Amino acid sequence: MKQSAPHKARVGLFVVLGTIILVAALYFIGNRQHLFSKNMEVYAVFQNVNGLQLGNNVRYSGINVGTVATIEMMDEATIVVQMMVEEKTGAFIKKDATATIGSDGLVGSMVINILPGKKNLLTIKSGDTIDTYSKIGADDMLSTLNVTNENAALLTADLLKITNKILQGDGALGALITDSLLTQDLRATLQNLKQTTDDAGGLISTLHYKFSKVDMEKSAVGILLNDTLVGHQVGGLITNLEQSGVDISETTQQLNLMISELQDKESAFNYLTKNETLPKTIDSTMVEIKEASRKLNENMEALKHNFLFRGYFRKQERAARKEAKSRKE
Amino acid sequence: MKQVVLELKDLRKSFGDNHVLNGFNLKLYEGENLVVMGKSGSGKSVMIKCLVGLMGADSGSIKIKNDDIVSLGQRELDILRTEIGFLFQGSALYDSMTVRENLEFPLRRNKDKINTGQTTEELVVEALENVGLVSAIDLMPAELSGGMQRRVALARALILKPKIILYDEPTTGLDPITSKEIIQLMRTIQKTYKTSSLIITHDVDCARVISNRMILLVDGINYAEGTFEELSTSEDPKIKAFFKN
Amino acid sequence: MILEKTNSIAVKTKRFFEEIGDMTYFAIRFFKEVVTSPFEWKELIRQCFQMGNRSFLLVGVTGFILGLVFTLQSRPTLLELGAVSWMPSMVSISIVREIGPVIISLICAGRIGSSIGAELGSMKVTEQIDAMEVSGTNPFKYLVVTRILATTLMLPLLIIMGDAVALFGSAIVENLKGDVSYVLYFNKVFDALKFSDVIPATVKSFFFGFAIGLVGCYKGYNCSKGTVGVGEASNAAVVYTSMLLFVIDFIAVFLTDIFF
Repeated sequence: MKQSAPHKARVGLFVVLGTIILVAALYFIGNRQHLFSKNMEVYAVFQNVNGLQLGNNVRYSGINVGTVATIEMMDEATIVVQMMVEEKTGAFIKKDATATIGSDGLVGSMVINILPGKKNLLTIKSGDTIDTYSKIGADDMLSTLNVTNENAALLTADLLKITNKILQGDGALGALITDSLLTQDLRATLQNLKQTTDDAGGLISTLHYKFSKVDMEKSAVGILLNDTLVGHQVGGLITNLEQSGVDISETTQQLNLMISELQDKESAFNYLTKNETLPKTIDSTMVEIKEASRKLNENMEALKHNFLFRGYFRKQERAARKEAKSRKE
Repeated sequence: MKQVVLELKDLRKSFGDNHVLNGFNLKLYEGENLVVMGKSGSGKSVMIKCLVGLMGADSGSIKIKNDDIVSLGQRELDILRTEIGFLFQGSALYDSMTVRENLEFPLRRNKDKINTGQTTEELVVEALENVGLVSAIDLMPAELSGGMQRRVALARALILKPKIILYDEPTTGLDPITSKEIIQLMRTIQKTYKTSSLIITHDVDCARVISNRMILLVDGINYAEGTFEELSTSEDPKIKAFFKN
Repeated sequence: MILEKTNSIAVKTKRFFEEIGDMTYFAIRFFKEVVTSPFEWKELIRQCFQMGNRSFLLVGVTGFILGLVFTLQSRPTLLELGAVSWMPSMVSISIVREIGPVIISLICAGRIGSSIGAELGSMKVTEQIDAMEVSGTNPFKYLVVTRILATTLMLPLLIIMGDAVALFGSAIVENLKGDVSYVLYFNKVFDALKFSDVIPATVKSFFFGFAIGLVGCYKGYNCSKGTVGVGEASNAAVVYTSMLLFVIDFIAVFLTDIFF
């Protein structure tokens, strides 16, 4: 166990040196300095190297293949950059490859990107010079962006003006969008229609009931109904009703179609701009529907009186027939 | 002729250029109290440490009960060491343990060496009774006085009931009265357990009281040998230097 | 004069290498003894408890302040960059990967390393180590192996705890100054941390623990005589350990770089 002092010193020296060598080895492996790989020299001539420094990476299709070895200025517009490129990957670089200087991220250091050539030419040899292509630097890019931005701002301002006008209801487009009366009309009409349909439904079921009674019992009502005059009148009324029903269902279908179409589009604005005649059509349709339903309502009322109060029916007889006739026409 | 339990032959040890032991010879007979006297730094402690294998000697043989400790492996050495009690210069009680744990420590691995059938507790109490300190069983060494520490250390050296006890300066750092108590204790123990003792000291009073035989260690060799009376009346100036007050 | 100086430099260099060589043998002996019986389980557990317990509060307080201060100090810079929301990920990665293990190891080098150095040193000086040896217990096993194992096992735990407390401290700052809820903070932390951050740091901390135990024990075990020696042993334990910690960290960072 006991070791002599010189022996210990030797062991100590060995340990220290070993540690240093280990650290150095790790450093080189970690940095991938291509310490042991064979390198080849590739040259490129630039006009402007955008702050490229010795030791910056060289990439071929995005893979780090080497580093910048020297940067030499030949004259004011000729800067020769020597790159040390790994022979392994360098074997894939064709003669028509181009080198550009780019930056590694927004604030990163510069890199040389070698872009693969298009044609299948021979691969480069050590000492070859490849073409370069100067990209716009970040500064140029930013100034262009600046102009674009200004233009965009102007454009937006104009757009804002237009949209303001539309909102205020100026012009045909504005009127269409902002017309709230139209919507109210539409809603009222729909409500009327609904009311009418309900009434009609109730009435028809009552009629059905009455007729069935008339058939079974030879009551006063039955006799009354057998009267051709009354019969004619009732028949006319029913035809009338049928006609109204068909009209209503047609209108409803149209309305449905319109509404679903309105829903299909992203907005009413979109739809209305496409179809200029539609609003007018809707307007007139509304008026028609309104009129029809009003009259129908009156008919209903009359019919009710006809059955319940005979006196009233007789008083109105003539008027009702006239009306039915005019309706038929 | 009494049996030799411990023998040193031509023991040499040096630290660099400092030759501490230059061929030291010693024989310890069964049941005797042998005192080795020497000046400070004369190599007494080195000698005793070589004896139990705490230090390796450069050359020479160390025989304990016919075993040469130089040739022994660690395990055999440990077994042999259970036959030897060692009282250290500064008591060397373990600071972090109580008196009880201090005494139990040598028993951890070597309990089977004692064939008395006693429990650990009984052994601890017996050892403390021998030194008259049963009351201190649960105290920490730091809470004890120097004399009490020495006595606990003695108890610890005795707990394995060794046949040989080595005392390294048993009275250093103690006042004369406590020293006498310790020396008295050493004699009692020697009588009770029939041990052979090797005492290293530079304390003449201690040597006078306890020694059957003395060896003077001067310049790394056993300069003179004899009883206390023989040596104290010697005319040799080097020997006289030990005894003059 | 010049000759004298070069001589003393040569002697010092030789001493330095001797010491390292000696420490190497010490480490080799540790590895030999750690695998051979008898094992001092009870003492090992006692040491583990002692070391963990004694350093618990210290590591906790240090970790807390570390996280707190680190966050407070980096806040203005991040605020300038408008990246305050990156705070949890930045703080957690830097603390877990590097700052936590290194700072806590240094603290423990001061706390545990010096106390081991002083304890073993004083045991050596008062011949307690010799006393152990003559009473049939291998002091290297009983004192050194258990302590080195204890530091090796306990330091990673202390570091993990310290990291957690540091992150908590950082979360408090973010909560007070930046209105970030604790849940959000820790969500972001766990989002940012990967196993490739945690595992190398934990592996590294085992080596840190080993270094603290090894140097402390070596210095204490080979302490020179006298009370001065004890002081020197505990002092040298801290100094050497700190240096060794940085060397290990250096190597660990390179290795992490390569493998993760």
